[in-house]
Amino acid sequence: MSQETPARRVPAESAFTDSAAFWQGTREGKLVLQYCTKTGRFQHFPRPVSLATGRRTLGWKEVSGNGTIYSHTVLRTPGLGADGRLPCPLALVDLDEGVRILANLPGADLDRLKIGARVRLVWDTLAGDARYPAFALT
Amino acid sequence: MAPESLGRTAARESAQVVAGYAEIPNRFKTGRSAYDLAGEVLAALLDRMNLALEDIDGLSVTAALSEGTNPFYAAYMCEALGITPTWLHLSGLGGCSALSGLMRAMSAVREGECRIAVVLSADAPSTIYRADFGAQRPEFQEPQAAARPPAAFGLLMNRYAHQYGLDPNALGKIAQVQREHAVRNDNALPKLRTPLSMEDYLQSRVIADPLRLLDSVMFCDGGNALVVTSREEAKRRGWSKLAAPVAYAEITNFNGRDPLADITETGFGQLAPRLFAQANLKPADIRMFQPYDDFTIAVQMQLEQLGFCERGAGARFILETDLSFAGKLPLNTGGGQISAGQPGLAGGALNLVEAVRQLFGEGGQRQVPDPRNALVTGIGVIPYGRNWSTSAAMILEPA
Repeated sequence: MSQETPARRVPAESAFTDSAAFWQGTREGKLVLQYCTKTGRFQHFPRPVSLATGRRTLGWKEVSGNGTIYSHTVLRTPGLGADGRLPCPLALVDLDEGVRILANLPGADLDRLKIGARVRLVWDTLAGDARYPAFALT
Repeated sequence: MAPESLGRTAARESAQVVAGYAEIPNRFKTGRSAYDLAGEVLAALLDRMNLALEDIDGLSVTAALSEGTNPFYAAYMCEALGITPTWLHLSGLGGCSALSGLMRAMSAVREGECRIAVVLSADAPSTIYRADFGAQRPEFQEPQAAARPPAAFGLLMNRYAHQYGLDPNALGKIAQVQREHAVRNDNALPKLRTPLSMEDYLQSRVIADPLRLLDSVMFCDGGNALVVTSREEAKRRGWSKLAAPVAYAEITNFNGRDPLADITETGFGQLAPRLFAQANLKPADIRMFQPYDDFTIAVQMQLEQLGFCERGAGARFILETDLSFAGKLPLNTGGGQISAGQPGLAGGALNLVEAVRQLFGEGGQRQVPDPRNALVTGIGVIPYGRNWSTSAAMILEPA
């Protein structure tokens, strides 16, 4: 395990599309994701249109933060962007609301990292005390 | 049997043809630019084809990682090389750029926009890496260290393992067979030109569970080019070794609207029926397989999704099939990117150039016997939490 966890750069908000609600949620300790106001379907990452309608029928809603591991990996070598955090567990999590999210599982017991394992929302810290959604095994 | 009308023109009757190729050796950290490498490729091509610079009036340039932020790359390439094309194309489909560039060059020649088109790929990512992927990646992939290919393929492999099981011996065999081919390829990276044992593979370190170092490509610098022209023009110039695509299909962002898509399903599963119907062939008719190989699992998944075997049966197929250049289904006879090196996005053309070389009967000490056709593929771009973004496949025959 690494002794020091270097601060991870905080990305610029809304550089790709309007994601202000997501970032505001992180400051309030809520996982707020984009959804289609016409069909109710969540989508992540946020898009400039609803994937269901192709129109800007877009809203934001808090999700439970409870989900199931769809797949996982552990980054083990420097140079992959996880330097200073190795080994770095990473998972695709299917949230109970029907949308998949890519996230870290900081400090997870690697032997318990399994497809189908239940996870709950925790917060990872980036530089400047910014928070980023992550998950912990329940 | 697919109806004849679905098929593209048979290669022997195709009015547009691939008439030649050139390739320079893959080398690590040359200190040179993509333009300079392209110059070396071009000079080799002019020599081989007895062409003059002014004969080239069409150019498709593969976007390069080493020139990543330059929107004027193709035009600057023309300036650098002294080419004045009447048809210019910057091909930006990642590892599918050369395949798609070649198809678009065939169209340009057919439409009379140019007479002699060069499909040019050069890149130097081991010397300089300027790609800035932008889009959603800084906000939604980089904070989790998930923007690089090994993370995506580690996730893909574990899901595949969960659904179908994973046999490291099959993945190791891909690396091993391709290494045998790289040993016979003077243009392969020198440090990869020694045979590989299964033990070497199984002992190579895990970089993103369960992905091993020897499942992966190694970046290098390099370049290659292909000539596309009309059959008439080729005949006039005395170019007698010809090849042509008899089928081509591509798809981008497969299942891209499904929030819970099965990530072990790729675009190849969707395009395979169209591809084989066009060519009037079945997978069992394919004489050599030259797939895009960034990771060994991608080769196994393509074998399944293109229909060489059932889903999940790829490992058994690999273990039971002679994949050597002299075998039943020769696999990446130049070594592929895994064993010859990946010259950035120019790597997506290594397998295409190798296929043409084999169809011309110029494979030397790795020549495939009876090279009656070749299936070549491309894979492009790492998306958010999925498999890969673009899948492209082409079947070529001697023309």
